Amino acid sequence: MILRPYFTAFGLQWKIGLRYRIAVVAGLVAQMWFGAVTLMAYASVYHAAPDVQAPLSLRQAMTYTWIQQSLFTLLPLGCLPAIGDAARTGAIVYDLLRPVDMWNWWLSASLARLLGNAVPRAVLLACVAGPLAMLMGLGAWSLAPPAGLAAAILALMSITLGAFLSATIVMWWNILTARTLSPLGSYAVGTPLAVLLSGMLLPLPLYPDWIRPFLLAQPFAGITDIPIRIYLGTPIPGGVVTGLGLQIFWLSALTLLGRLWMRQTVNRLEVQGA
Amino acid sequence: MQTPLSSNDAITVRDLQKIYRIREGGSWRGKTRDILALNGISFSIPKGQIAGFIGPNGAGKSTAIKILSGILRPSSGEVRVNGLIPWANRVEHVARIGVVFGQRTQLWWDLSVGEGLALLRDIYGVDSGRFARNRARLADALDLGGIMDQSVRQLSLGQRMRAEIAASLIHDPDILILDEPTIGLDAPSKLAVRAFVHELCRDRGTTVLLTTHDMHDIEALAERVIVIGHGRILADSPFEDLRTTTLSERILELDFNGTPPELTLPTGATETTRTPHSLTITFDPHQIPAPALVAHVGQLPGLDDVRVSRPSIDEIITRFYADHAA
Repeated sequence: MILRPYFTAFGLQWKIGLRYRIAVVAGLVAQMWFGAVTLMAYASVYHAAPDVQAPLSLRQAMTYTWIQQSLFTLLPLGCLPAIGDAARTGAIVYDLLRPVDMWNWWLSASLARLLGNAVPRAVLLACVAGPLAMLMGLGAWSLAPPAGLAAAILALMSITLGAFLSATIVMWWNILTARTLSPLGSYAVGTPLAVLLSGMLLPLPLYPDWIRPFLLAQPFAGITDIPIRIYLGTPIPGGVVTGLGLQIFWLSALTLLGRLWMRQTVNRLEVQGA
Repeated sequence: MQTPLSSNDAITVRDLQKIYRIREGGSWRGKTRDILALNGISFSIPKGQIAGFIGPNGAGKSTAIKILSGILRPSSGEVRVNGLIPWANRVEHVARIGVVFGQRTQLWWDLSVGEGLALLRDIYGVDSGRFARNRARLADALDLGGIMDQSVRQLSLGQRMRAEIAASLIHDPDILILDEPTIGLDAPSKLAVRAFVHELCRDRGTTVLLTTHDMHDIEALAERVIVIGHGRILADSPFEDLRTTTLSERILELDFNGTPPELTLPTGATETTRTPHSLTITFDPHQIPAPALVAHVGQLPGLDDVRVSRPSIDEIITRFYADHAA
């Protein structure tokens, strides 16, 4: 079975991602905290300026924030840790010695690591910020349900594309790591870019009018921003089709260019020593 | 007229050259300098042979090993391993070789040895029957029974190296490349690794290419030694030939129960060291055979003991490197 190595790589990283149960709980607490602070800030801004026609309602902004917080670990913050370690120790030569397509091999592992980290957190946070908050009488602050059945299904498709897109961007950080033989550069570049451009810091629909088209058109919007917009049912310029189209475009473009960059990197990779 | 690259050889290398371009100064506009790591080497290794690849640090051994493993592209030259061009047919090529880098680990620190082997089974697409047989055979030969369930990070260096060798052989490669497999190992572990490699070659006909700085590995294993220095092949011969051509001298050690007397030595023999109770004489057996020299000194007063020895393999190699300014 020709796909077995890739499922194996996926399974290994998925297990490693799930292994850190305490990190899941700690991350959940941190994300609840940041979520709550952000929500309070939105509440005071929205109440101070009740006449302004904001692109998102307060409830939508809160829901956007909850989903964004729950998917924090889905963002391409840096390279796959295993590749960072291998680059530092030189064990990365063994990756070149495996009879597999390097791109798919690393991509499966990167995707599994993102999902292994993000899925448990997302489920837990959705439970806490959704039904649990409702039951505690915090309905106005809670995670709103999707705009409708169609929105839910399309959002699920879109977040699946978003996960692949994020793993593809992680591939670029992986290649950067293989070239520089250190994971540090990928984190220095990846973390600020991902946090800012994905809408983690401020939802992309809340930026000034003139910059919004650019923010929607860049690849990081396709990870969580477009899926969340579809979930909320907020209008996307050009409609849902444009949103999904942008995701597919970036996924294809970054895969194609990334594969070329990877081939060039493998050809010149000169692992030092022994 | 060049002969075609033979298909009976496991490895064929012709006029292999590798130039590294090093950027100096570290800036974007820094100058580049070319370093010639391999300067046209040629050799071939028949199927089922154990060949030792030795040379001082920086001689080009690692570069050659990396090119043969398919992870580095040469600047020019021809290479065939199992009839394939390693860097051009990478996936096909690496499926048929096993590689151990003594200073790196290919097993997963977080997993047990057994789990790691199972992952490699999936990566190489080894069917479950063959995997079970290979795993049992390797566990037995490399004494892995007790450590199969231990995580790799808990293993001692000797245990880990045995597990690494098992990991490199789970897919029945035709060629095994060992890059310093005994580095840092204690004596029993070294002996175990050597015995295993020897059996592997004898029983399964695996071709083995070995680099090491431990000359005893070479002496115990290699039918043939390729010495590399300054990116060139300095010698390519059975080890015994290297010994006779490089350092054929013998050493005669004499112990006395008093002060050693002054003595006149025949041509071809020279006194090298003198201590209060012993003398060391170096001699060329072609000029003065050992029995004649022993007879010459045998009647000396106070002589207690006589020993004739050959220079150690380390001395031979040191002399060889010095002779070639390697």
